[in-house]
Amino acid sequence: MDKILPDNMLQAALARNDPAAVELIWDRYAGDLLAYLQAVLCSRHDAEDVLQTVFVRIIRKRHRLAKARRLDAYVYRIARNEAFRLISRRKKGRTIETVNESWLIVPEGSNKSNDMAEELQAILARLPQPQREVIVMKIYRQKTFLEISRLLGLSQNTIASRYRYGMERLRTLLENLTL
Amino acid sequence: MNDKDTQNEQLESILRRAHVPEPSPELKERITSEATKAWNQTSPELPWQIPVRRLLVSAAAAVFVIWLANCSSDYALARWQSGGLPVAHQKPLDLDELPEIHYGPLARHLVSTGRKPSITNASALRNHAETVLRILNEAQQNGVSKPPAPVEGRSRLFPTRPGFNSYS
Repeated sequence: MDKILPDNMLQAALARNDPAAVELIWDRYAGDLLAYLQAVLCSRHDAEDVLQTVFVRIIRKRHRLAKARRLDAYVYRIARNEAFRLISRRKKGRTIETVNESWLIVPEGSNKSNDMAEELQAILARLPQPQREVIVMKIYRQKTFLEISRLLGLSQNTIASRYRYGMERLRTLLENLTL
Repeated sequence: MNDKDTQNEQLESILRRAHVPEPSPELKERITSEATKAWNQTSPELPWQIPVRRLLVSAAAAVFVIWLANCSSDYALARWQSGGLPVAHQKPLDLDELPEIHYGPLARHLVSTGRKPSITNASALRNHAETVLRILNEAQQNGVSKPPAPVEGRSRLFPTRPGFNSYS
């Protein structure tokens, strides 16, 4: 975590055309992007594939990224576009459906914890995608509403209301599950 | 509101029991090697190339649009010159052919008058002029006098009424 560089230093490395920037971008964005893509796609396997495409795209557009006003928002925009491209290909039936691998983990290794992870995953999957991505970024990546709003290019109120509606829906779904 | 906050906190604590896994070292190896390959394959794009490329694409698009408009106008002109398009003047309809069309008598009349060529009939015009002259003569003979000659500087169009300018 200490190695993570601020965006302006990353942009400087990209502008210098320094190949070490690949590693730096990975350290800075891979974890957040993978979580975000899993929230959008509800699949670990798809998220990893899309993450690879995103990285290749970032490298190809490195000179634009070096000049971007907000590097993080640009990177998230690429990730979002790639994720939606995959979703639209799926809808048109051009790609094969993959098995939904577990993208949530409960630390204890018992069967019960696996069941819980699957239940939480199933409930999250029933949320609308915009609400799900906000909840995942807030709860699992500890982002603030302000940070999420900047990353997704939306207002802070929109993010807050998505979170609130998502939590309400989750509560209803969990109540139905326990009843 | 506090009740909702408490419920949200409870729900967050349930959700936080799980976590999203970090990317594995294998995934890092796979993706960074692909990215490095892409880095080596793509030549560094110089900053000045971007606006130049955009300009070229815009120019190509403009040329294409102009070419398309030219083609379209040439095609329309060629059709018009070869008589493909209907022209403004038409031959008068032969009314004997009209009964085959299911029009009523009024429609037939309208069609016949509407399609009449705009050629001035000299004898009809002469007849009309004679009729107008005859009516004027009859009106004169019946006692309608000629209008008085206009006073100098006054229009013939406005009738002179007594006391019209009396206030001045």
